Amino acid sequence: MSARRLTRSRARGAAVVAGAALLLTACSSGGGGGAEEEGDDDGPIRIGISLPLTGDFSEPGKGVQNGYEIWRDEINEAGGLLGRQVELVILDDQSNADRVVADYEALITQEEVDLIFGPFSSRLVLPSARVAEEYGMLFVEPAGAAEDIFAAGYRNLFYAAPAVADTHYDYLFDHLMSLPDGERPETASFASMDDPLAMGAANGLKAKLEEAGVEILVDEIYPPNTTDFSGIAAQLAEADADLLVGGTQYQDGVNMILAVRQLGYQPRMAAFTTAPTLPEFVEAIGADKVDGIMTPNGYSPAAEYEGNANFVEMVMEKEGREPTEDEANAYTVGQVVTAAVEAVGCAEQGDCQTELVDWLHENEVATIVGDLRWDEAGRPNGAHFIQQYVDGSPEIVLPEDQATAEFIAVKPEW
Amino acid sequence: MRNASETTRAAAPAAERTAGNRAARPPLLRDPRRLVGVGLLVALAVVVLVFPMTTSVGYLLSTGVVILNYALMATGWNFMGGFTGYISLGHAAYFGLGAYAVAILIDRTGMSPFLALALAPLVVVVIAIPVGVAALRVRGASFVIVTIAFVLILLLVAQSWASLTGGSTGLMVPRAFQGLMRTEHHQVFYYIYVAALVLALLVWWRIDRSRFGMGLKAVREDEDKARALGVPTFRAKLIAFAWSAFFTGLAGALYALWFGDLDPVFQFSILMGAYMVLMALLGGVRELFGPLLGAIVVGLAIEFFKAEFGDTQFHLVATGLLLALVVLFMPEGVIPAVKGLFARFGPQASSIREVSAQQLLDGTQDAPDDDAPVAPGGVGRVR
Amino acid sequence: MSSALLLQSLILGILLGGLYALLASGLTLYFGVMRVVMIAHSAFLILAGYLAWFFTVQTGLDPMISLLITVPLFFGIGVLMQRLLITRLKPASLTMMSVLLTFAIALVIEGMLGFTFTGVQRRIRLDYGASSIEVLGAQVAVVKLVAFGLAALALGSLWFVLKKTSFGQALRATIQHKEAAELVGIDTAKVASYGFGLGLATAAVGGTALALDATIYPSLHWHWIGPLMAIIVVGGLGSIPGAAVAAMLLGVTQSLLQVPLGTTWAQTVFYVALFVTLMVRPQGFFGGRLAQRF
Repeated sequence: MSARRLTRSRARGAAVVAGAALLLTACSSGGGGGAEEEGDDDGPIRIGISLPLTGDFSEPGKGVQNGYEIWRDEINEAGGLLGRQVELVILDDQSNADRVVADYEALITQEEVDLIFGPFSSRLVLPSARVAEEYGMLFVEPAGAAEDIFAAGYRNLFYAAPAVADTHYDYLFDHLMSLPDGERPETASFASMDDPLAMGAANGLKAKLEEAGVEILVDEIYPPNTTDFSGIAAQLAEADADLLVGGTQYQDGVNMILAVRQLGYQPRMAAFTTAPTLPEFVEAIGADKVDGIMTPNGYSPAAEYEGNANFVEMVMEKEGREPTEDEANAYTVGQVVTAAVEAVGCAEQGDCQTELVDWLHENEVATIVGDLRWDEAGRPNGAHFIQQYVDGSPEIVLPEDQATAEFIAVKPEW
Repeated sequence: MRNASETTRAAAPAAERTAGNRAARPPLLRDPRRLVGVGLLVALAVVVLVFPMTTSVGYLLSTGVVILNYALMATGWNFMGGFTGYISLGHAAYFGLGAYAVAILIDRTGMSPFLALALAPLVVVVIAIPVGVAALRVRGASFVIVTIAFVLILLLVAQSWASLTGGSTGLMVPRAFQGLMRTEHHQVFYYIYVAALVLALLVWWRIDRSRFGMGLKAVREDEDKARALGVPTFRAKLIAFAWSAFFTGLAGALYALWFGDLDPVFQFSILMGAYMVLMALLGGVRELFGPLLGAIVVGLAIEFFKAEFGDTQFHLVATGLLLALVVLFMPEGVIPAVKGLFARFGPQASSIREVSAQQLLDGTQDAPDDDAPVAPGGVGRVR
Repeated sequence: MSSALLLQSLILGILLGGLYALLASGLTLYFGVMRVVMIAHSAFLILAGYLAWFFTVQTGLDPMISLLITVPLFFGIGVLMQRLLITRLKPASLTMMSVLLTFAIALVIEGMLGFTFTGVQRRIRLDYGASSIEVLGAQVAVVKLVAFGLAALALGSLWFVLKKTSFGQALRATIQHKEAAELVGIDTAKVASYGFGLGLATAAVGGTALALDATIYPSLHWHWIGPLMAIIVVGGLGSIPGAAVAAMLLGVTQSLLQVPLGTTWAQTVFYVALFVTLMVRPQGFFGGRLAQRF
């Protein structure tokens, strides 16, 4: 992890300089960055990233880091970007909004990186997008699907995944409506973490179901860091809806499932966001208990998109398992930025960033999650797959033309 | 402030006479200790004012704003902690309230950001007064518990009342100054913070020298004795509490306008309250510039630790150890310790605890404004 | 709210109240013997939870076996903490400064936990983790019953020690009137340090009980310290029966309010009770003369 060590020593310089500057007026402009590398065509292209490596989002944060590193290794082996090697400068934001802003501030002004990549989780994307916007930096991000982000109207922001949160369950909804009367769920219960991504997906589905006449029995919102789910589970079990939807991150999803199982609630269908896409999920719930659990997933290892087979192979080699959604989205960011940089032919702060933004607004990019194109606010144009556990392993079940297994309409007991 | 001191005067003739005896101080420039102090003050002012002109690196400027924010919060905290000795661990509540007040006023009423900035600290005071009425009925442990509880309540409310506060997602505050470059934006807010800090310091200084301030410090030294001497302790504490909430709320309001994104977990964080206590204690709660000095030291240390050990939770350990060291070995702070060196050559100041009530009423003693060692076994109440 | 859901909530509330009661007893014990508000109590609670989790991950044994290590360990830490740290504080400002000192200890524990185990949420995987039994027509999770049993057992032991042993008498005497206790020949310094150790031992038991059925992470202790402190103020600072009764009442109320109000608003019941207590009866509903003055 040479990149990290480098960062630390520089950041130390920054803090010392900040101290010196406050205590002694003598210290003058230029700060700690110094007159190095800028505009230097032979040096490496330095890409600044802030990720939650500790704190609430550290689990998916590490997946994003892994995806970025796989992209870097691949591009460096192939001779680099514009013939220059790529170097990642990663800072840890501890899942804090104030840190993420300070990190990007430091990366752009102190480290003077050439490009930046987005952080993880909608909560952190929103404040960092403003920093990027105000410094005029291209901001391609792997994890901010929530509508609030696009509503802010940042022109330099692009979401490198197939679809925004509200539409994640669209294939599932269409499929449910196509079911015959007896099989179609008549009642549904929702419990969501108060997090833009988790709630966004659940609310998108809820609105459609309500419109279609499905009765919503429970609609609970709980704050992040809730650990006791017995109260929520009691209500879910009491309502006994056909369809249970959890707007979850990781651990809260596991806790909710265990809590409803303790109360003997057996919904006919169950869907959760994020948690079931992570490899730890099966172990936490038990391989014999996960069957039938659904989740929207923006990525399928089996999909025949640009470079996907190659990507799966690299992750298999490095980790001994298939890629996760977070790894894929991070890698997609790399693909999108690569396409723009190679088309425009530059990678540095200043006017180049505007050209990169303009290019992405006008062009389509082929990625491992499909061909992506964005609207003015950075919303991508695709749709999410629906993944379901079949015999203990995750399979794509919807849409049918991409499916790797048959949709299970009645979930086995958990 | 005039109101407060007037009511105090009417009710506490004892305090008035004591304060009337302050003329005994030597003229400003003839006392070498004061001369050094004035010199340091001028140097500090120059450094603070010139700093933003020396750099265009956004990160350094934003660090400067963050440290000024700490300084304003810690100085605000010290209106309560320094004058009355009531240690609040929950002042993050008023910081968060100030920030949310600005955001909600702008968001819901479409008010101008500057008007919102002016109103927000007043909103905070209006909310703080009933809390103060409840909290100040009790002393010591119960008081601290109430202050912590209030932060936790506000965190719950901010997370739950989503229609008003945006829930866990928080709120976004539009930029007050449109069309500024980000570094210019930092510079503008840097100077606004400096102005707010100067205002807070002036008010603290004014209270420190007033009869009202005497009453507050009497509460700090011995509340029962103060009451017995006729200081309206409850009202005095409540007024100090309101000032404290006002300036902490002002810091929050400025922070909201500067930072732009409110996250309830950050705005209502107990850790933030702990930072304020640490900064004020480290610098010295009885000193005008104590919290400011503490904020500079602790603020730089926090920035350093997060940059150096960012991917671990080591900054928490460092904060904890520093707080423990200050509490155990230097509860009076750095400034009194340094002053103590000078004081060896000057006349000794004495604690109110070493003064009998009769002496106090006769006004034969100067005010206890320096390092006041606790008289061993001086007061029967404590154990 | 149907009667089944009501019963379910009531049972959950009682199970939760039991844990609150144990933890609040420890917290109020420190205050009784030393006039110390121990902010780090819940940090030790989470530390015990982590030790139980780590023990299970390493050995594969049931987390409750870790109590054989953590209870004596915590008792020892408590005694040392009282002797080496708390007694160093000046008596005049003991209550205020002890808050800050224990707060600092809480930060150090949280930081070290994050440093050692990272911020990732942890949960002990138990074979009986998802099983439940039926009580009066309501499903009750086995782990919750076990946790409640553990808390009840510890609380019972604490009661026994305080009521039936000579040490307990000395401890109660110290709480009620320290000077008088010294006059009749009680070594109050020693009693106080043992009382501190006893209080911390409740955190060891409570933490293990907590970790059986909940996710733990380093900063979780802030979510516990608020309700616990509200409980001891409502119960009356220094009164163990008061803390236990208040804990049970508030735990059940919280659980019942969860259904109509949701989880977040339901938690405010502790703080509402705290403020009402201060306005109506600042010394607490079961407390004596201590509370208002410290």
